[in-house]
Amino acid sequence: MNELRDLLDGLVADIDAVFLFSPSMSDYEALEESECTVVVVGPENSVDAAEFVELPIDFTDLEGRIRFGIEGALEQELVEEGDEVVCVSGFMTGTANAVARIQTNDFSPSGVYDLFVNSRAEPGVVRDIFEVAVELGKKGQKGKPVGALFVVGDAGKVMSKSRPLSYNPFEKSHVHVGDPIVNVMLKEFSRLDGAFVISDAGKIVSAYRYLEPSAEGVDIPKGLGARHMAGGAITRDTNATAIVLSESDGLVRAFKGGELVLEIDPEEY
Amino acid sequence: MQSISEWPDVVRTLFSPQGTFVVSLAVLSLGLLAGFLVWRTARQFMEELGVPETVEGTPFERTARSLGTSTVGIVSNLAALFVYIIAITIALNIAQLVQPEAYWTRFTAFLPDLFIAVFAIIIGLIAGDKAKLVVSERLRSVKLPEATVVPEIVKYSIFYLAVLIALGQLGVATMALLILLAAYAFGLVFLTGLALKDLLAAAAAGLYLLLAEPYSIGDEVVIGDQRGIVQEVDMFVTHVESDGREHIIPNQQVMRSGIVRVRE
Repeated sequence: MNELRDLLDGLVADIDAVFLFSPSMSDYEALEESECTVVVVGPENSVDAAEFVELPIDFTDLEGRIRFGIEGALEQELVEEGDEVVCVSGFMTGTANAVARIQTNDFSPSGVYDLFVNSRAEPGVVRDIFEVAVELGKKGQKGKPVGALFVVGDAGKVMSKSRPLSYNPFEKSHVHVGDPIVNVMLKEFSRLDGAFVISDAGKIVSAYRYLEPSAEGVDIPKGLGARHMAGGAITRDTNATAIVLSESDGLVRAFKGGELVLEIDPEEY
Repeated sequence: MQSISEWPDVVRTLFSPQGTFVVSLAVLSLGLLAGFLVWRTARQFMEELGVPETVEGTPFERTARSLGTSTVGIVSNLAALFVYIIAITIALNIAQLVQPEAYWTRFTAFLPDLFIAVFAIIIGLIAGDKAKLVVSERLRSVKLPEATVVPEIVKYSIFYLAVLIALGQLGVATMALLILLAAYAFGLVFLTGLALKDLLAAAAAGLYLLLAEPYSIGDEVVIGDQRGIVQEVDMFVTHVESDGREHIIPNQQVMRSGIVRVRE
C-alpha cells in the first residue's frame, strides 16, 4: 500500500490549485485550511466559496467538466496559465472519487466557458436553448430524429442578414425561452425548415429564417451539412451563437465566431 | 350587550331563589361546554386553513413554541377563555352573588372589544413578521446594505396598523395616530409616484410598442438622433445598435420623438 500512497503523494505534490467539483461542505472546509488555491466548480455555490466557477449544464463526461472548470478559472484569473492543478471529482458516481493532475496549458482552450459566460446573449438564455436542443435530440419529433438550428443573440443583425421563408409564426407574440410552453412549441415548429432567431434577452424573434451570411472561409469539420454551415457562418458575420441539432448523427453542436466550440451527445447528457 | 345585562332580571322574575341558583349552575356548565367546543372548533378551523404552516418561522410562533404552546394554541385558548369569562359573569349575575351594577357587568360588555383587540395584535405581529420575511426573500439578490431597511419598514408599518386597530377597539382616542398614519400613507404614495414617474411613462409607451409592434427586432430605425438596428424591445426601453454602440432608449422618448423606419 505504501507504494500506492507514494504515487498519490507524487500526484498532488507541488500543485498551485485544487479544483473541487461539487464538493461536500466538510471536504471544502478541510481543504480551505491548506495554502494552495481552492476553486469550487459546480452548478451552484453550495459551500459559499470565494473562488467559484458555475457549471451551466451538467456535463456527464469528466473531460468536459474539467475543461469547463479550468477554462472558467483561467478566464476569472483564479489560476494562471501553466499552473499545475489537481481536480477532485466524482467519476461514474456522484461522490468525489477521482483525482487528476493537469497543467492548465496542456490543452488548447475550446472556448466552452466563453460560450456560456461571454456570449452576447444572457447565459441563462444560452443554457435554456441548449436544453431545448438536447431535449429535441433525445425525443425527436414523433419518434423521428429532427434537426434544428437556433441562432441566439445579436438578433437585429441576424435578422438583417436573413430573409423569411414564410410567415413568421412568432410575429407579435411575446414568447421567451424558458417559458414552459416553449419546449412544446419549438418541438412542433422544428419540422419547419430554416432557423430560429432568439434575441439577447431570450425573446423568440422568428422561425422560418433563411440565413444569408457569406460562408466564405468558414472552416467547420468535414461531413457536416448545410445546416451546420449556415449556423457556423452566421456566427462569423455577427456576434451571435448558433446551437445546431444534427438530424443525421443527433449531436448538439455550438458555434461561435465561425468555429465549433462544443459538441455533446444528447443521449449521454 | 344590553340583553346580557337584562337576562339576570328576567330569570329572577321567572324562578324562585332556589330555581335561580339551579339556572345559574346550568348556565355555568353550558358555558364550560361551549368554551370547550369553541376551543376545539377554532383549532380545527385554523389547522384546516393551514395557519400552522403559514406562521412557521415567524418570531411570534417561535416565542410561543419556547413557551410550550403555538400560535394556534394561543388563539384558540383565548377564544375559549372569552367564552368562559362570559359564562361565569352571567352565572354570577343570575345568582346575584355580586352587585348587578358592579364592575363585572360593565366588564362583560367590554370583553368582546378586548378580545378583538388582542386578536388584532396577534394577527398584526404575525403578519408583520411574515411580510418582513417575504420582502427580505425577494430582496435577497440585492446586495445593498440599504435594502435591509425596507423589510423592517414594512414590518413596523404593519405593527403600527395593528396597534391602531387594537387601540381603536378599546376606545382609546387614536385621532393623532390616525393623522400620523394618513401623513405616512400619503408620503409613501406621493414619493413612490414621484420616483416611478419616468418608469410609468416608459411602461405605458412600452405597452403600446409591444402590442402594436410598429417596429420589431431587426428593423433599421431612426429614433431622435440615433439610427441603428433594433436589438431588443421591452416594457421600459428599446435597444438600438449601430457600429458596435448599443443605445438604450427609454420608451417614452421613442413615443415623443417618433420613429422613422428606414427601408433602403
